[in-house]
Amino acid sequence: MLSIRQARLVLPLGILLVGLLFIVSLGVGDMPLGPGQIVRGLLRKDPLAATVVWQMRLPRVCVAMLVGSALAAAGMVMQAYFRNSLASPDLLGVSSGGAVGAVIAIASGLAALSLWSLPLFSLAGAFAATGAVLILAKRGASTERLLLAGVALNALLGAITAFVLSRYTGVFDRNSQILFWLMGGLEDRMWMHVLIAAPIPLAAVALLPLRRQIDLLSLGEQEARSLGLDVRLLRRRLLVLSTCLTATATAVAGLIGFVGLVVPHILRLLVGPEHRRLLPLCLVFGGGFVLACDLVCHTSGGLRLGTVTAFVGGPFFLWLLRRHP
Amino acid sequence: MAAPQTSLKALELRGISVPGRLSEVTLSLERGVVAGLIGPNGSGKSTLLQAAAGLLAATGSVLWQNRPLETIPSLERGRCTAWVPQESHFEFGFPVRSVVAQGRYAHGDDSRGIEAAMEAMKLTSLAQRPVNRLSGGERHRVLLARALATAAPLQLWDEPLASLDVRHVLEVVSLARRLAAGGATVIMSLHDLRIANRLDIAVVILDGRIRALGPPREVLTPALLQAVFGVKAVTAPGMTLELP
Repeated sequence: MLSIRQARLVLPLGILLVGLLFIVSLGVGDMPLGPGQIVRGLLRKDPLAATVVWQMRLPRVCVAMLVGSALAAAGMVMQAYFRNSLASPDLLGVSSGGAVGAVIAIASGLAALSLWSLPLFSLAGAFAATGAVLILAKRGASTERLLLAGVALNALLGAITAFVLSRYTGVFDRNSQILFWLMGGLEDRMWMHVLIAAPIPLAAVALLPLRRQIDLLSLGEQEARSLGLDVRLLRRRLLVLSTCLTATATAVAGLIGFVGLVVPHILRLLVGPEHRRLLPLCLVFGGGFVLACDLVCHTSGGLRLGTVTAFVGGPFFLWLLRRHP
Repeated sequence: MAAPQTSLKALELRGISVPGRLSEVTLSLERGVVAGLIGPNGSGKSTLLQAAAGLLAATGSVLWQNRPLETIPSLERGRCTAWVPQESHFEFGFPVRSVVAQGRYAHGDDSRGIEAAMEAMKLTSLAQRPVNRLSGGERHRVLLARALATAAPLQLWDEPLASLDVRHVLEVVSLARRLAAGGATVIMSLHDLRIANRLDIAVVILDGRIRALGPPREVLTPALLQAVFGVKAVTAPGMTLELP
């Protein structure tokens, strides 16, 4: 862990790093742009550069950062909620619900009719899964029961996705679309997707005043209550906000695993577990991590975003398991 | 007109029952006393403390300073009582000072009394150490310091002495005495009957029921110890340990 003085430098360094990645991402693609061209494009002084930057790259970069921030923050919240460093935002079946919605939109042909239908179906699926979780939580289900319900819900929703996929094995274009979506990606993201991702900054801002309370919740229900925390109210808020973050991220970028696990963990190792510091860092570094992974996708020629995050996240998860006997 | 001080009870339990664990427990404690909760393993000591802290669903009524628990909002409860759990699992390694400061959450997260609480529990040199890397005894001292930082008038400590060395045991007892002298009420569950003998009141619990209640020298008789613990009390000369 870093000293207090060093830890204070992590946020400005992170912002600087994300700023650099932001500029590099605007320059990389089929038509590479130099720093000067990027600036002229941003200022709309070069029509071609302006089109590339404003219509193609900027929306993708914004979606990447929003998705990364959302998944990292949701992961941090879930880990405190379940008092388990290995918890992740897709634990409660929210992402799987989003996947079912998206898969139905693609399979039914609705996704081909309107660009809005896929993300909206995905949002609906994710929120339906959230609803199931909230009903369970409302009945005062313990953390363990919620986790078990999440595992069961994930299995059920995964089976529905597999079923739809198997029905369309002969229909090549839809099948490949479904598979592409399940692997997550940010190709062809437009301002419409940025708009759909608008709940992410709102949910993130709503989380900021709850940071101290999240510290207490991570001690366990009884200790948190004894210190004066309204545990039931906080839990409900956190469930709504973290599922909103995960659902929105899934709707605009498909299934992207491991961000919610990897980013809060590395940051916790660096600056400690206090959420006052951890949440802003998760928002910044989560965005940066997905932006960096998306750059790898850009330059590797064909790797999917979900694959890249898993390539980093998978080995890290195994390393974590070794550290947590 | 001044309020009648004598009627102000620090804690009152009226017919508290928790299925299978506590049965019709009625108890009333004045301000400024240190009470020891004594009983065999599984007799209901922890359950009683949790019910008194309002952390457990129980039938009957709990009153803090004559106020029914259900009328006290969550945040205010954090100012009225402090509860020290028997065991605490810290998944995340908060620095020691940060854990102690959690005791001030219900006070708007001010920093009043944090340093004094750390000093009282001899934790100042460990302030920045992650709490999950401390020994069991050190961790318990952190929890006690957090309880002290709350400045709550009702202190409910579940086996606070279990993992402490003899010096720290005496210090914690002396601290409880000082808190009581300041008007607080401390209830601690414990197994050491010699320590229990030094407290103001002994509450003996067996099979979820209060078996005896009163000054320890009157209550902890050989006959009662035989009945509750199945042991024979023998008075023998020996060492008495005191703080210098």
